[in-house]
Amino acid sequence: MPRKQNSITALAVVCLATWGAAPAMAQSGDPLAVGRQMLAEDNPGELWIERGKTLFHQKRGPQDASLEQCDFGLGPGKLEGATTRLPRYFPDTDRVQDLESRLLTCMVQLQGFNRDDIVKRAISPAGSNGSDVEALTLYITSRSNGMKMNVSLSHQKEYDMYKAGEYLFYRRSGQTDFACVQCHGGANKRIRLQDLIHMTDKKGVQEVVSTWPAYRGAHFVVRTMQWRLSDCFWQMRLPELTYASDVSIALTTYLHYQGNGAVIKVPGFKR
Amino acid sequence: MNKTWLKWAAVSTPALIALGCATYPDQATTRQVAEKMVSEDFTAPTPALLKRLVQDRSQQVCSKIGDAKLTQEEAAEVVKLARDSIRYPAAGKLVGDWKVGEKLALDGAGDRIQGGILEKRKENGGLCQNCHALAPGEINVGNVGPSLTGYGLQRGNSEAIAKLTYERIYNGWAYAPCSNMPRLGATGHLTPEQISHMVAYLIDPQSPVNTK
Repeated sequence: MPRKQNSITALAVVCLATWGAAPAMAQSGDPLAVGRQMLAEDNPGELWIERGKTLFHQKRGPQDASLEQCDFGLGPGKLEGATTRLPRYFPDTDRVQDLESRLLTCMVQLQGFNRDDIVKRAISPAGSNGSDVEALTLYITSRSNGMKMNVSLSHQKEYDMYKAGEYLFYRRSGQTDFACVQCHGGANKRIRLQDLIHMTDKKGVQEVVSTWPAYRGAHFVVRTMQWRLSDCFWQMRLPELTYASDVSIALTTYLHYQGNGAVIKVPGFKR
Repeated sequence: MNKTWLKWAAVSTPALIALGCATYPDQATTRQVAEKMVSEDFTAPTPALLKRLVQDRSQQVCSKIGDAKLTQEEAAEVVKLARDSIRYPAAGKLVGDWKVGEKLALDGAGDRIQGGILEKRKENGGLCQNCHALAPGEINVGNVGPSLTGYGLQRGNSEAIAKLTYERIYNGWAYAPCSNMPRLGATGHLTPEQISHMVAYLIDPQSPVNTK
């Protein structure tokens, strides 16, 4: 009897949720919203978290070391909240680094991996099992789930990176005359059926900074911010963005700082 | 590990002292820093393709940050550069075949670079439907640009409209300096002949765009 009651309650909750969603959809006039919501509730990206965790603690690489001594800014091995502060300035490398470039530093310095080898595999082919970097990036970010983005610009190099990112966001070039802002400067815009996030708006930019890495349905793998940026440049018909380069970190710094206050919830789910 | 910690403390202490003294760099410095990044952080199958990153004068003017507005002088300069850039098809025919134009308008591919390879095709897609609604009833359309459904119904297909339409596709900055619309002819993405077919797709009474 209690079990039956539970299932009735569950059913009622589902129904209520559906009723709740329907008017919301009608209001926004977005027929795709329901489908997106349904997909987000059952996110295959969750599977990558466990894999990232295993990779993080495993002794790997030529130096047979784990990543447990990797310092993402809050001290060696301290992951809780670390990504809420990224990108940030790291004195040991004398660079502003995002999560992925910092992870590269540790995989090279602590584990002895060859940098070029990791970079080559960092972004995995669509439909593959995904890369180590993708799984690790998701795991480390997931340890900040529920926490608010809190990027600081207190170091001069962080300011410089932020301003460079802003400049790049508006820098038009190439045969399409596109900068980021041509597609991401307005509300409710789409390229064909693909929603474009409104990044000159606080809420929009907060959505960006709190949902990567994300499971990308069309690719069947987890994608990271580095992938997102490189894919934009590809569509813009520009040359290929170097993985973990300063251009990528500048844009990430610009977006993340503006997204401060957003609550991290990864993996996100994207089309 | 202790040693590492000491090294960190030694490096970070001056940094902490500097904290609070950080200021935004001036515009010229930012530009210099960011342009250096652009010149170093991209790769391409051939050096010539890297030139795509280099801004022409109009792109420089049109990269205003935030809500900064164009000055009147800047707008006039961009318009003049745009006017001077426009070339017409060799045969002088501005209105081509709408059926060819339709195929181009729906085609969003061509000339992208991935994995060290340039996407080589016979011709580039026109990219139109990525941003504009065209034929009525088609759902898979973008809305970054205004809807062009019924374009010819509203404007007719006079010679003047054909010329205006051609020029707005070839280099729309001649009319709306620094608008989001790519200068598809001027940047070399499309040929004059391709644009003439797209003009036909927009203004020909038989074109699906103008279905009543």
